[in-house]
Amino acid sequence: MTTLEGRAAPTPGTADVPAARRRLRAPKGLGALPISVWILLFFILPFGLVVWYSFGYKPGLYVTHANDVLSLDRYGQAASPAFFSIFVRTLKIAVTGTVICLAIAFPMAYWMAVKLAPKWRGIVLALILIPYWTNFLVRTIGWQISLSPEGFVSKTLQWAHLTDGPLHVLYTSAAVQLGVVYNYLPLMILPLYVALERLDPKLLEASRDLGGTVWSTFWHVTIPLSMPGVTAGMLLVFVPLMGDYITPTVLGGASGSMVGQMVAAQFQSAQNWALGSAMAVLLMLAIFGTSAVVGAALKVVGAIATAATSLKLPLKENA
Amino acid sequence: MTDTASVSKPVRRRRIRPGDALLNVWGMLGLLFLFFPIVVIVVFSFNTGRTLQMFEGFGVDAYVSAMNNPAIVNAITVSLITAAGTAVVATLLGTFAGIALTRRPGWWAPGLLVLLGLVMVTPEIVSAISLLPWFVTLGVDWGFDAFNIGQVRLIIANSLFASAVVTFIVRARMTGMNEFLEEAAADLYAPPFRRFTDITLPLIRPAVISGALLAFTLSLDNTVVSSFVSVAGSTPWPVYIFASLKASLRPDIAAMSTLMLVLTLIVLAVAALILRRDPTGEGGGAAGLTSAMVGR
Amino acid sequence: MTQQPHIRALIPEALKSSLTRRSFLGGTAALGVGAFLAACSSSSGGGGGASSDGLNIYTWGEYDDPAVLTDFTAAKGPKITLDSYGSNPEMIAKLSAAKGTTGYDICVPTHSSVQQMATGGLLTELDHSKLPNMKNLTPKVLNTPFDPGNKYSVCKDWGSTGYVYDTTVIKRDLTSWADFLDAAQKEASGSMSFLEDQGEVAFTYFWSNGIDENTTDPAHIAAYRSFILDKIAPHVQAFESSTNASISSSARTLIHCWNGDARLGILANPEPDRYKWVWPSEGANLWQDNWAIVKGAPHEDAAYEFINYVLDPAVSLKELTYIGYNTGIQGIEDAAKKADVKRPDLVFISDAIMSKLVYSQMTSADGTIIGIYDELKAAAGK
Repeated sequence: MTTLEGRAAPTPGTADVPAARRRLRAPKGLGALPISVWILLFFILPFGLVVWYSFGYKPGLYVTHANDVLSLDRYGQAASPAFFSIFVRTLKIAVTGTVICLAIAFPMAYWMAVKLAPKWRGIVLALILIPYWTNFLVRTIGWQISLSPEGFVSKTLQWAHLTDGPLHVLYTSAAVQLGVVYNYLPLMILPLYVALERLDPKLLEASRDLGGTVWSTFWHVTIPLSMPGVTAGMLLVFVPLMGDYITPTVLGGASGSMVGQMVAAQFQSAQNWALGSAMAVLLMLAIFGTSAVVGAALKVVGAIATAATSLKLPLKENA
Repeated sequence: MTDTASVSKPVRRRRIRPGDALLNVWGMLGLLFLFFPIVVIVVFSFNTGRTLQMFEGFGVDAYVSAMNNPAIVNAITVSLITAAGTAVVATLLGTFAGIALTRRPGWWAPGLLVLLGLVMVTPEIVSAISLLPWFVTLGVDWGFDAFNIGQVRLIIANSLFASAVVTFIVRARMTGMNEFLEEAAADLYAPPFRRFTDITLPLIRPAVISGALLAFTLSLDNTVVSSFVSVAGSTPWPVYIFASLKASLRPDIAAMSTLMLVLTLIVLAVAALILRRDPTGEGGGAAGLTSAMVGR
Repeated sequence: MTQQPHIRALIPEALKSSLTRRSFLGGTAALGVGAFLAACSSSSGGGGGASSDGLNIYTWGEYDDPAVLTDFTAAKGPKITLDSYGSNPEMIAKLSAAKGTTGYDICVPTHSSVQQMATGGLLTELDHSKLPNMKNLTPKVLNTPFDPGNKYSVCKDWGSTGYVYDTTVIKRDLTSWADFLDAAQKEASGSMSFLEDQGEVAFTYFWSNGIDENTTDPAHIAAYRSFILDKIAPHVQAFESSTNASISSSARTLIHCWNGDARLGILANPEPDRYKWVWPSEGANLWQDNWAIVKGAPHEDAAYEFINYVLDPAVSLKELTYIGYNTGIQGIEDAAKKADVKRPDLVFISDAIMSKLVYSQMTSADGTIIGIYDELKAAAGK
């Protein structure tokens, strides 16, 4: 250690050392250049094109777009009641889906990180990753087969007299809700698991030693420390869910349609690029807006929780 | 303290708290839920019927017909080639970016991080609708013929998200690493290139490998962007399934999907094996992969 | 003396593993070169065709006998890849967005779209010398008002629109479009589907109210809009053009479909009598689907060979037997009867019904109709 620290200061008389030091610092950020160029060419410029289109219009029935007259009309059209209801429906499905994922994932992650013996953790983690590595579309099709009114689930439920007719879940919003919760559940479990695994068991012991019950330990120690995982998980689930195109297409039929399909339809059949671009920009804004609002809310909640906790501990010491 | 702990432990083991039992049940149910549609697909891949949804009998007909279907085999080939290309591109771009972000961050670093985050949070549908007109503009209006080749389009489209992922993984790995080894090499008059290949690269090897494998598997799964930008004849596998969804689903799709799942598992097992030899344990195994994936 | 252990601590064991940096870099480079070469060689065709002797067809779902396709490959060589779409706007959108880089050789537009596509520069003018089998087609399907002289298209088949319903759920007899719209609101609520075509959906309303399907009267269109959005939208379960899978798996109670798809679905259903096809009494849409060659097709010669191959009477009969549509070849009806084709009532339209069918046309009201269809999709199935 000391030898290296000694070497850190340039020793006089060795003119080569400053040169080597210079070479260590020379290519300032050169490595980041390729990816920056790549992203500029294939992400920023195309997205800029989309924003550009969103200010245009559809000149004729068979022409996709024109930009000689710029206006915000397409945004007005995208916010019209007919299309806005789909935005609202998408937001509902996304928020509900995120909350349900959290509710299912937190106990699972807690179980994996805290309750399971270490030798089982790797296996269970691998088991969770296997469905995640299966093709997204294929697992959604698995639900399409299962939920079909003539399928085995429907027949079993009818035989067990749990339903009085064929299962009418497929091609409704409920099916889409189920599908998105299923598809994004691993993305909620993993960050929660990572956060909870980092939880030092000594902290839990300390809390109990200070007289805390299981519940108060959970509330004052576990949850605040797992907040980064909760935030990461909610972000990882909410963002792709808002733009999900596959799940509503496979499971939703007419009623489960979400914004992703609406945007796609403008490009794939309606040939109204201007409107589709406006919808895409609105979608991005909706995602950012909701994330910012929820992020701020969580920060506020976290601050309150920390304040409440720090107020209680000194009292306990005195007791 | 330790005495009471060792005495109280056996007591806890004999009496499983109802809370723990409940958590066990919840965990098992969760796993069952996660595996349910996968099992359904695997079971239905042995369907001898004409359509996937109607189960008519057990047999391996679907596997035979899937292997003999030129469209399916072509789609799988395209997917694999695209995934390999994406892995190469993403690993190259991401590794250098990750190193630059940790070792030599400059004024541009926060901007690049925001950009990479933006790439990761953009919904696929938005990327899809922006890339297709762009590729057409580049390829047809501006005459760069390379952008009319399906494989090129697919690799470019998939590499954006993948390179962002690799960047974060490499960056996560490198932030934990002290720079003193590279400085030592510099003091020993090693030129920058030798420093990179002999010191840096071996140290971040687990991160690079896991990043490459992640890029590979992410690319195999990419459906939405690929369906927009793909060119006929270079249809990747998920796009083929998506198209069949509109017409009619056959059991050979389930059969080939099962085979692809097995392939993915093998790739991941290989990854786990390679990563397990990482002695520092930080970048190793599934947990390391996970934390690198999500701990951005 | 103590230098040895320090160095050992400094250098991770990673360096000792079998995967040295050389092999890692070399492997990566090899992978990269290999992928690049594979990508280049596999896309040697101009539009990115998978092999230089292939054929890419962009058509409707389940619209060709798979045996015919394999026979063609066996007889002539080119391997065929099929991609499908559910509506003409979808096909047109894809072709016009890509400006000739889709890589498709053949597409199958409905008659009403041919002129629009030709004007938009999406189709190649046909060289009839390469299609000698065109002489096999009946005069009725040649030199049509929508494509005089067959400059851009050749008849693939023609048919009409109607619907099927599940007789185990709907106990009464349905015979008209009015019945269709009524059942959609009652027994089949939440279990019915429309075709993915904005015109076909509009025609269900127009026919049931005795209005000409090609109307441009704003009052009619406004009435259609309020009816479809208020009365029908909440009951729609799906928009689906390739309906045979739903019919054969008894997935829905009431399905808006074309006659050939209905036949395919009914024949494949384990209970062939469960679904009943209806030729609506008021009349319906008459359409003709055509082969056309996409502008910028990478395998034009293979495209001509395929179209010519399918126009052969024997091959055409095979196609008809599978897809269930009249292919317009001379004498095909007699040949089909002789070959004992199943459910000829669904394939060959009687004169009585023919007299009530009307060809759809592109009208000035198209934009509005498309807009209403988009609104319907947004409002559907709440």
